[in-house]
Amino acid sequence: MEYIISLLVIISIYVILSVSFNLIIGYAGLMSIAHPIFFAIGAYTTAILSVHYTYSPIVIIIASGAVALIMSTFLSIPSLRISGDYFLITSIGFQLGLLEIIKNIDFLGGASGLGNIPNIIEGSNRNIYFATLTLCLAACSVFFVHWLIGGPYGRAIRAMRDDELAFVTLGRDAIHLKLSIFAIGSGMAGIAGSIFAYFYQYISLDQFELLQSTTILTMVVVGGMGSVWGPVVGAILLVLLPQAISFLHLPQNIMANLQGLIFSLLIILFLFLKPKGLITSEMDRAHEKK
Amino acid sequence: MKRNDSEVVLSITDLCKSFGGILVADNISLELRRGEILGLIGPNGAGKTSLFNLISGVIQSDAGLIKISGTQINGFPLSRRARLGISRTWQHMRLFESMDVIDNMLIAPRIYPGESLLNILLRPIKVKNNDKLLFSQAMSILERMNLKDLAHQRITDISFGQQKLIGLARALMNDGDCLLLDEPMAGVEGQAYETMQNIIHEEAASGKAICIVEHNISFIKDLCNNAIFMSNGKILERGKIDDLLASKTLTELYFGT
Repeated sequence: MEYIISLLVIISIYVILSVSFNLIIGYAGLMSIAHPIFFAIGAYTTAILSVHYTYSPIVIIIASGAVALIMSTFLSIPSLRISGDYFLITSIGFQLGLLEIIKNIDFLGGASGLGNIPNIIEGSNRNIYFATLTLCLAACSVFFVHWLIGGPYGRAIRAMRDDELAFVTLGRDAIHLKLSIFAIGSGMAGIAGSIFAYFYQYISLDQFELLQSTTILTMVVVGGMGSVWGPVVGAILLVLLPQAISFLHLPQNIMANLQGLIFSLLIILFLFLKPKGLITSEMDRAHEKK
Repeated sequence: MKRNDSEVVLSITDLCKSFGGILVADNISLELRRGEILGLIGPNGAGKTSLFNLISGVIQSDAGLIKISGTQINGFPLSRRARLGISRTWQHMRLFESMDVIDNMLIAPRIYPGESLLNILLRPIKVKNNDKLLFSQAMSILERMNLKDLAHQRITDISFGQQKLIGLARALMNDGDCLLLDEPMAGVEGQAYETMQNIIHEEAASGKAICIVEHNISFIKDLCNNAIFMSNGKILERGKIDDLLASKTLTELYFGT
């Protein structure tokens, strides 16, 4: 039972991550894979604030989202004027650079990570409460994205993706729109990071490396880019898949590399065979009709 | 004449632009007044669409002045020019194909509060009310075009002529004074042709300054007060369309005969 409950927490955290990443890459079409670094920024902010200060966890969770949101502008403001592949390269550089900085600052725990994060939910039902909290947050994220994309803001994003030149010629501000969607997506990742830190009470750098980028990207691609429910399905499937593999009782040295291999294979297979993912977005349905 | 007394909306002075030595605008000067419909004709490659691109900001000029209602707009980005009241259509329409007709129009007004995340999060009611207002504006434009039934159809599901009209309808969501129409009639016939003509007339009558690039001479003849003949980035002649077409040199340039 404990195992299933902790799986629920992990799934919920990944739902927040993939749904917010989908805003950036699926809806806005911004080729960034630096999402885990904002997840990391949220987690580290929570770790530092909760270890050194006695603020309420709610304040710390919100602050973690805010710090990730603000930090995202350090990547997006200088690099959103360039687009496509160049943005992708800058985002990788940003992620690796920040990870390297964290690794070399003792205050942030360096390579050994940060522990002693206080437990915010005491008692034997801790994990049940955590699962409930993260499930609620994941549901809120999904409905927030659904609401955002279904309204006037989503209309602007769809138009920008369809034809950016026509869009700006109507008087719309594409740069501002990209900055804002990148910031909100990154802020959501920061909140996921905060929950992650509180749940495990220990964070280390290897949880935010490029492999994590691949994981979240796979969830979005497999689930369906640019659809509200696609990344949710992707997150559930790809958290459960490694668990299913672990039942095969393969030797440890094979298991360690198998996940990366399977995720990479999945991305390649889906891009070739089902590029729209399991759940097709409204936009793609329209194009298919054409 | 009353028209000559009316206010200048768009004024262009000595506008120049070259691409690697090829002049697409060679000392272009023109004025477009409120209520005027100006035709822009000339052979392919004359620089007509480039002139629209220079005015709307798709490309920046090398020299010369562009003013909209007295404000100099050289160097302004596209979006700012649109907010100052320049709206345009495209020869290849460039409609948002994943969206339905009404959404294509709702995205197009000069001011669109829904594009700001702060507005969406902090003033959702205001944005919603504004959207309702825009919706009724868009519906009334569609009604004038007899296309109200198409509001919730996808762009890809309507006919070519209807798409051309929606291109115009989208440009009309911008309530500014200057309207640039790039080949509005190319491939349009029947009912859509008449509707297009009527709407353009009505818009001019309501005070918009309109400039049309068009190869359909009879359409230009029916609609335009004056026309400009361009070739190789230069304005060769301006005046009444009949006078331009009476000139042997110009018709030779245009029709290659």
